[in-house]
Amino acid sequence: MSVPPVSPSSEPVVVTLRDAGPAWRPVSPALVTVRLVVLAVVLVPLLLVCVGLALLLTPWVWLGAGVLVLVGAWAAWVVRRQVSAISWVELDDEIVIRKGRLFRSLVSVPYGRLQYVDIQSGPLARAFGLASCEIHTASPESGGSLPGLPTAEAEALRTRLAARGEAQRAGL
Amino acid sequence: MTDVPPGATAAAPADEDWQRLHPLSPLLRGGVVLLAVLGYAASRVVDRVLPAADGGPSGGAPDEAAVVLEHPLLALAALLLVIAGVATVGWVSWRFSRFRVARGQLELRSGVLYRQHRQVPLERVQAVETTRPLLARLLGLSQVVVQSAGGADSHLTLAYLGAGRAEEVRAHLLDLAGRADERGPGAGAGGGGAPATPSDGAGPARVAGRSRDEGVPVLDVPNGRLFVATLLHPATLVLGLVVLGLLVAAAVTGLGAGVLAGAPALVPVVFGLAVGRVKELLVHGNFALSRTDTALRVRHGLTELRASSVPLHRVQAVEALQPLWWRPFGWWRVRVNVAGVRSDGSDGNDQTTLLPVGTLGDALRVLATLGVRPDDPFVVAALEGDGGEPGWVGPPRAARVLDPWSWRRSGYAVSDTALHLRSGRWSRSAVVVPHARVQSLALEQGPVQARLGLATGRVVSTPGPVSARAAHLRTGDAEAFLALVGARAREARRAVPAAGPRPGGSILPPDPAETVARRGTPLVD
Repeated sequence: MSVPPVSPSSEPVVVTLRDAGPAWRPVSPALVTVRLVVLAVVLVPLLLVCVGLALLLTPWVWLGAGVLVLVGAWAAWVVRRQVSAISWVELDDEIVIRKGRLFRSLVSVPYGRLQYVDIQSGPLARAFGLASCEIHTASPESGGSLPGLPTAEAEALRTRLAARGEAQRAGL
Repeated sequence: MTDVPPGATAAAPADEDWQRLHPLSPLLRGGVVLLAVLGYAASRVVDRVLPAADGGPSGGAPDEAAVVLEHPLLALAALLLVIAGVATVGWVSWRFSRFRVARGQLELRSGVLYRQHRQVPLERVQAVETTRPLLARLLGLSQVVVQSAGGADSHLTLAYLGAGRAEEVRAHLLDLAGRADERGPGAGAGGGGAPATPSDGAGPARVAGRSRDEGVPVLDVPNGRLFVATLLHPATLVLGLVVLGLLVAAAVTGLGAGVLAGAPALVPVVFGLAVGRVKELLVHGNFALSRTDTALRVRHGLTELRASSVPLHRVQAVEALQPLWWRPFGWWRVRVNVAGVRSDGSDGNDQTTLLPVGTLGDALRVLATLGVRPDDPFVVAALEGDGGEPGWVGPPRAARVLDPWSWRRSGYAVSDTALHLRSGRWSRSAVVVPHARVQSLALEQGPVQARLGLATGRVVSTPGPVSARAAHLRTGDAEAFLALVGARAREARRAVPAAGPRPGGSILPPDPAETVARRGTPLVD
């Protein structure tokens, strides 16, 4: 194989649901910002409307505004936790992606099963220099998506995955 | 069915030439409409004539009926004109519908005003099946449906061809597609000597190559058994309860007439429940399974006969399942996931059921056809085991909170060639996934599972009815499952680098000891 393994530690990585070894790589913390911005785009106008109504009509609407602030704070906390829970590792034969904290999931996709890899980045993510990497296999449900990679890293990952996929290509 | 289209009289017409469909096909496609129009017209006339014969006054008789009675010749002329119009349109559309196999593509051109040109690359062909709707069956016609990867939109239907011609085209396309798929010579060479079996008397002489295609019969499902099995379903139980409830209510309350008068309100419910059962019967009736060197041939359909091929090398996972209601009879159903085949069965097309209902022996025979050895202790334990067999890893006692009935039985076992999974204590299910067919692996853990120290392992297969899960394992066991199955899948992928039909005709790699005994050519490199 022409592509060297990427895992920084030389000993074999044991794939587990929880343990955070040095091999597990986090996604960019900027993803938190991106998701918070999205959250703000939804919540802030609502909050403004509430504030406006409260000032103009009745102070009772402050209650609604308060609830919105609480929801926003909770969502921000969840976003932070979710993003920090995303981690991934490239092994010799597969890429493993872990997600979720309350509902944990782990998907392990062998390079030989890769059909194609998509790099996607919306305008907001691009502004923060982020892209997401979507991994597709022959099964629509089995792919993994890896959001919030720095664009250069996402491109590099795609190239590496494509090369390894070619080297280890297996039929259906 | 001897009237083959003019362009196709030769046994093997040159592929490059454009060929026409069967001349009767527009009649069949437009025929239903024509029949409906004729029937409607006839009924109107009869309606008008009968009361007239009775001498009774028929109130608001429609005008056109009156016209027909007053000017029969005019009406006849109009009818002829309509028929001539339909015939012309049909003839023109037939003239403009042509297909050919050229440059590795199957092409179909159709339409006069709106031209349509659809082509399917042969290497993308997943399956070719012939279907015979009821009307077509009466005329001895079949349609050939070419399925390619990419969903229902990418299917190409040749409607219609003579039944014999359709089989020829199907065999020919499969041959070409198989060769394209294998990327190597000798696709059909090994199968030339497979014993020919007389087909169901559909025609006398067969073109060479068709006998190979029909394959060796594996089993038939008697329609009587299918009927009973179809009735043994929760839907029928509900149906029976509804009727029973009605009767009891009528008898006890003494409001017989009143209750029975309310019965029509339940008709939609009953109808809804019945439709599913009837559809099951229609789809799986006349079920017959046979196998060729590289594929399984499935023929089924009570009114609409369908024949389809399941290439063995595309089978991704097998499941034998036994609903609770079938247990007294010891019946099983066998389903598979096939790469590139839809499984919704919405149009009565079910290529994923290899045995709608059969005895344990039948199920084992189907499994054996797929290369899953019935004497494998794992297979036996997966089908009938209740837990605790050696080699099986299942959920710990803690899992009884989440799965009070089946936690003892469910679990997984890894053999040399395949991963076995079983679940369900009342309704049993046993899944076999060959190591070489594992797409990817996943672990899942919800909050309750996390508290109990459990996790669910999942083998992701291609879309299909079979799902391969080992639910509620100990977290450590689930991680071991991931590592072990992953490692086996890796070895298997290395052993079989590329897709291709295995001449031995098994979804599992051959046993070293058995390789000699297998017929056919060696593995294609």
